[in-house]
Amino acid sequence: MMIRVRFHGRGGQGAKTASRILGTAAFNEGLNVQDSPVYGAERRGAPVAAFTRISDGEVLERGYVFDPDVVMVMDSTLLDNPTARPLDGIRRRGVLFVNSQTGSSFHGIQTARPDIRVATFDLTGEALSLVGKAVISSATAAAAARIIGLVTDGSLEKAIRSELEELGLNDELIEKNVTLGRKVFASLEPVELSTDEYFVRSGLVPFELIMGERTGTEEITSAGNSNAVKTGSWRIFKPIIDYNKCTACMVCFAYCPESALTLRGDYKPVIDEDNCKGCLICYRECPPKAITLEKEVREF
Amino acid sequence: MTVEQQTRFRTLKDIPTPDYMSPGGSLCAGCGGLLAVRLFHKVLGPNLVWVNAAGCLTVMVNYPYVPLKSNWLYTAFASAPAGAQGVRDAFDILIQKGKIPAEEDVKVVVLTGDGGAYDIGLQSTSGAMYRNLDFYYLCYDNQAYGNTGFQVSSATPIGSATATTPPTPSEPGGNMFKRKDLFEIWRAHKPPYIATLSSSFAVDFLRKVEKGSKMKGPKLFISLAGCPTGWGYDPRETIREEKLAVDTGIWPLKEAVNGEVKHTYLPRALKPVEEYLSTQARYEHLFRPTKRTEVIRMIQNDVNNYWKMVSKDENVEIRLVGE
Repeated sequence: MMIRVRFHGRGGQGAKTASRILGTAAFNEGLNVQDSPVYGAERRGAPVAAFTRISDGEVLERGYVFDPDVVMVMDSTLLDNPTARPLDGIRRRGVLFVNSQTGSSFHGIQTARPDIRVATFDLTGEALSLVGKAVISSATAAAAARIIGLVTDGSLEKAIRSELEELGLNDELIEKNVTLGRKVFASLEPVELSTDEYFVRSGLVPFELIMGERTGTEEITSAGNSNAVKTGSWRIFKPIIDYNKCTACMVCFAYCPESALTLRGDYKPVIDEDNCKGCLICYRECPPKAITLEKEVREF
Repeated sequence: MTVEQQTRFRTLKDIPTPDYMSPGGSLCAGCGGLLAVRLFHKVLGPNLVWVNAAGCLTVMVNYPYVPLKSNWLYTAFASAPAGAQGVRDAFDILIQKGKIPAEEDVKVVVLTGDGGAYDIGLQSTSGAMYRNLDFYYLCYDNQAYGNTGFQVSSATPIGSATATTPPTPSEPGGNMFKRKDLFEIWRAHKPPYIATLSSSFAVDFLRKVEKGSKMKGPKLFISLAGCPTGWGYDPRETIREEKLAVDTGIWPLKEAVNGEVKHTYLPRALKPVEEYLSTQARYEHLFRPTKRTEVIRMIQNDVNNYWKMVSKDENVEIRLVGE
């Protein structure tokens, strides 16, 4: 028996740590484990993946997990992300877990892959209320541990403590993460895993969804074309401008690192919602406090 | 008033409205380095060639997507100033031969992180200054090798934890080497203009770049670059962190015109360095589980000694902390 879990998150969400916690938790149960992350030349907010292999025998495979039994998607906007491609290769009767705020049942995916089980939970919301940060490493590990069903809550708790201690987190944050992990673990049900060797490598997501608008030569060769990337999906909170309170002081415009703010004719700012990464410097620096925050709810 | 002293930047509202960069690059949200590049670009206008040494900012480009609307040349870590020499010479020759009109000339700007500026590219920077190359040099200083996971560089301040200088039982204070004084290393070469910058003092920033642009020869800038990922603070705090670095006296804002140093911002009373250190995870080991007063005092003493010298040299009164 070997279970392959693939985690898809955005840099900073804790995908790597989630795969480690899950591995350590299974190791605490006496199983053989292996975990590794992969990320490209991008950083916070960019798609990252991590893998955990759990087996009662030897683990002889190495590298990328192309044919996971369980896929953990930590941000639902990654579902149609052409770099992440989280739906690729899920084994027949495998499990897809999506960290989702809306409770959507992901009909499109179920129609394309009726054999897989889709599970969802609002990990980010839970993390914001219990830990105060949108980091969901322990929450995702807890969800994965519960889904595969081989790990007890005691082993999970021990793994969260040891991994977060190694990262140098303070005791208070570790305790909050343990509470979060326990809550998620108790809220989900184990899934009877009966996957087989058959897996679908690609072709699940329609081409238009992966490519978005067609990318042509003109777009590739034009200068300053990065706004086509649409990094707005990195945001957790969206800044909203109250134009009645705005005094056109231009502070937010001066300090926006991304050039995601432009000025209207009256020198009041307009936010490029497609690309604003949500660093919230504008919100923090606005002298008349004319910017408020709204939690993003985006769905695939 | 001399030409050098005239400025078009009096308040923040004088900031040029055109942006020569697009959003959507691959850098972290709240990147202080990117903000420095954006402000720098605003002053110099659209006709630039950025010669970019390997580092965080090279990753703003993710093929085929580029935030820059200007030109960009990517060089190896050590050789950005050599690359700038090549670009400068090529333009000079083409203009001289009449192959391109003089109004199509571009400004050549080296863009490098502190790893490139303080360590790996120091010799080629020295060479370019020696040859009196007419170029700009912008170092975004986030005080470690941020691109590869925040390893120690010779710009890392005392007390900072990095991936390669974590607090350990034998070295509980993190990094124990002092930063190189790059400003003074550069000044020894006597280039026409050197300045330190921080985006949090945006008007000061814009004025200095403007002032440098009126001079011929090497014009070098070190900008503090708040790094939410490496320093460990919420991305929204970038401006606050940089401002605190200036107000505590840790990051002096100064310039050297033909070697003559002048501080462009003189804090009347320094804030305690503790106010700055305690807001960043890279210094957390100085406060928890036990407070490392000896390291904090060492950092404060260094800052005090620096400003004592400034008080004397520039004949100003500056209230230090704990003295």
